[in-house]
Amino acid sequence: MSDVDVDSDAQAMLKVAAGDRQAFAWLFDRYHGSVARFAFRFVGDRERAEELTQDIFVKLYRNAKAYKPTARFKTFLFRVATNHCLNEVRRGEYRVSHTSSETPEGEETGAVEMAGPDGDMPDQALAGRELERAVGEALRNMSDRERAAFTMCRFEGMAYRDIAEALEASEAAVKSLIHRATLAVARRIEELQAGTAPARSRA
Amino acid sequence: MSCFFEEDLTAYVDGELPPARRAQVEAHLGTCAGCRATHALLSNAVTRLTELPAFEPSPATRRAVLAKLDALPEPWWERLKRLLRPSVLVPSVGLAAAVAVALLVVSPGPDAPPELADPAVMELAANLEVAEDYELLGLDSAEDLEVVANLHELEVAQ
Repeated sequence: MSDVDVDSDAQAMLKVAAGDRQAFAWLFDRYHGSVARFAFRFVGDRERAEELTQDIFVKLYRNAKAYKPTARFKTFLFRVATNHCLNEVRRGEYRVSHTSSETPEGEETGAVEMAGPDGDMPDQALAGRELERAVGEALRNMSDRERAAFTMCRFEGMAYRDIAEALEASEAAVKSLIHRATLAVARRIEELQAGTAPARSRA
Repeated sequence: MSCFFEEDLTAYVDGELPPARRAQVEAHLGTCAGCRATHALLSNAVTRLTELPAFEPSPATRRAVLAKLDALPEPWWERLKRLLRPSVLVPSVGLAAAVAVALLVVSPGPDAPPELADPAVMELAANLEVAEDYELLGLDSAEDLEVVANLHELEVAQ
């Protein structure tokens, strides 16, 4: 993202702080997908991710005055998002459910639809679903902070420095969180590729 | 089993190590089979993760969020701003001035009696003429005064 983009984000956020709804809608359109992806990977459930996304943007609007242009807007947004998701999970509002082994076959409520309509490249679609399930299980079994750091890094491409700011942690701590999380996911994927991954009825 | 360099391997894959450390890890990978295996494992995972499709949120979320904003209570600074608008403020100043003048005119002077707060005392104050009339009888409570004030009813009943 260019400096111009970063600057226009900050300008828009300052307008939001002054009650400008159009500026808010512009920021929403720009970052809605990122926040929703983060929430989805964090809780592993489409419906909950949508609810969390709505709450995060309402929170962003209400706390717009707390934003200072010295911080990158995306980092500020992800701090709001991370805190909200961590608090909700901690409060027991949401259970992390990622592609649960309890999900009956064919009812992939939590999973993202994989490539192809019915009958179109079924092997590829199956492989995609298996990959989704393996990653989902690894995400479910890691700590909330590992999952948050991993999600920001792998699905949003955020730099360690920005993730550290969003998580209010040191870069060294973030490096460690991302390493542990990536290693856990890598082992699941290795099992999947080796054909030793637990089948969907196990976990 | 874990090597001293292992912790840095993911950051190495992500290009997040400072140049000096990156060079050290690179040199180490040439000599440590364990780290080479872990590096291959991590690199493969990072590549495979890109195959996952992105989650596409529902377009209805935008409408839902904007509706929630509409339902938010007005923040205090907005209420204050509304109250300080000239169209509200100017007539309000006139009204406040009128109230201030009225208070000055009717306000009690320095000789005003202390406020009577006790309900019994207030009752006595309201019926002071009766109390004066019956002072000689030694009646001093509101109840006694009421009996005395309604003696004519007792007489009618008899």
